[in-house]
Amino acid sequence: MQFSHDRSGDTLVVNASGRVDGSNASDFLDTLQGLFEPGDQKIILDLSGLEYISSAGLRVLLMAAQNLDKQGKSFSICSLTESVGDVFRISGFDQIINVFPSVEAAK
Amino acid sequence: MTQPYRILVVDDEPDLEPLILQRMRRQIRAKEYEFVFAGNGVEALEKLNADPTIDMVLSDINMPKMDGLTLLQQLPGVDPNLRAVIISAYGDMDNIRTAMNRGAFDFVTKPIDFDDLKITVSRTLEHLSEWREALASRDQLVALQNELGIASQLQQSILPKQPLSTEAFEVSANMEPARNVGGDFYDYFKLDNEIALVVADVSDKGIPASMFMMSSRTALKGSAIGVRDPQAVLTEVNNQLHQDNPTFMFVTLVYALFNPDTGSLTYSIAGHDPPLLVDAGGTVTELPMTKGVALGIAPDVVYTQETVTLAPGDTVILFTDGVTEAMNPDNQQFEMKRLSEVFEGSPPVSASEANTAVFERVREFAGDAPQSDDITCLVLRRS
Repeated sequence: MQFSHDRSGDTLVVNASGRVDGSNASDFLDTLQGLFEPGDQKIILDLSGLEYISSAGLRVLLMAAQNLDKQGKSFSICSLTESVGDVFRISGFDQIINVFPSVEAAK
Repeated sequence: MTQPYRILVVDDEPDLEPLILQRMRRQIRAKEYEFVFAGNGVEALEKLNADPTIDMVLSDINMPKMDGLTLLQQLPGVDPNLRAVIISAYGDMDNIRTAMNRGAFDFVTKPIDFDDLKITVSRTLEHLSEWREALASRDQLVALQNELGIASQLQQSILPKQPLSTEAFEVSANMEPARNVGGDFYDYFKLDNEIALVVADVSDKGIPASMFMMSSRTALKGSAIGVRDPQAVLTEVNNQLHQDNPTFMFVTLVYALFNPDTGSLTYSIAGHDPPLLVDAGGTVTELPMTKGVALGIAPDVVYTQETVTLAPGDTVILFTDGVTEAMNPDNQQFEMKRLSEVFEGSPPVSASEANTAVFERVREFAGDAPQSDDITCLVLRRS
């Protein structure tokens, strides 16, 4: 997995690409949460470069979303590829986590 | 020679004792099982306290002095590893819900169907033996690799072993576990005059995931007995699993109820790929999706259901994403398209043949590429 991020004001945009499955899901969560700073109010995860996500990957996204929600922060994901979008749609996660078509729309 | 399993039967009906001794005589003679009887919860606790060799409890709910639900609550104080199977009536969701919350492992319905009881008892005991092995290994501080091995045995122990086919229909199911990942399970059981079918995928691996798998299976079977409609069953299971789920595990599944007399199949989907229907002419279609979300992650989700009628010769394929996401050496996925092609123009003549065909095609496609997820397929064919 590769990560890059961009912070402007209280908004953090994280770009994650590659594959998330059972073998790296907990590393994915650690890396993601390691990027958060106390001042971040809005966290947007840009998944345009994500090729594959397994159910273990969905689970860590849910954990991240719930943690941020508890702190009163907003979390959304955006720019899903077609196959990753299918995973979100079929599992119903698009009803649990905010999904936007682009980073701009998520802001 | 291993010791027979000791089973405590708790019921105030005096007829049950001779009936069990008669219907289980083969297992008793073969020294597989030994039965102990109690007429109510108080008597049951006395026997359990006096006899630590009892392995499982089979208990009715309504009894004088102490009922089965109160007894369930007391069991962990006697031995936390006792497994309890509850005898309940159809449609008794309130009691079943309480029993699940109090740790019941499985359910059988009244009036007792002894074939079903034998299956349930043997599966409970198999699970118990895997569970004890897991505990023993944990005590020895085993490596992770071994933990996954145990998880995989626990996973195997909850799968149904006995076939359930009649002249009217055939069910065939198989699960090929991946080496290190594993969360799939399937189940099928008789529910009155109908057949319940489940294919499921739990979000994680290892022993915690197999515990969650166990809870999912118990919640599903209990709810299936407690409420009729598949959509109501999933609503119930979702709330049950969500109640106590600090680690955000979840399970996606298809739950279907088939009536062999009319051919009607009613199903509800929780965050899972919809089943495929292959008609007798070899036309393949995806069954309509229903509304719902993976089970266990959010409270009060609305689930819906659909009903289709299977004509003689129609086949329904339930599967997990281990089939459609199987990869070949070029990193391509098997996908729904290739699964459909297995049957397009060649309708299966039997459920077992259809099942074998799916696994053969996936294996052929994957070649030398490593299997990264469990592969599960359950086929129902109306004769």
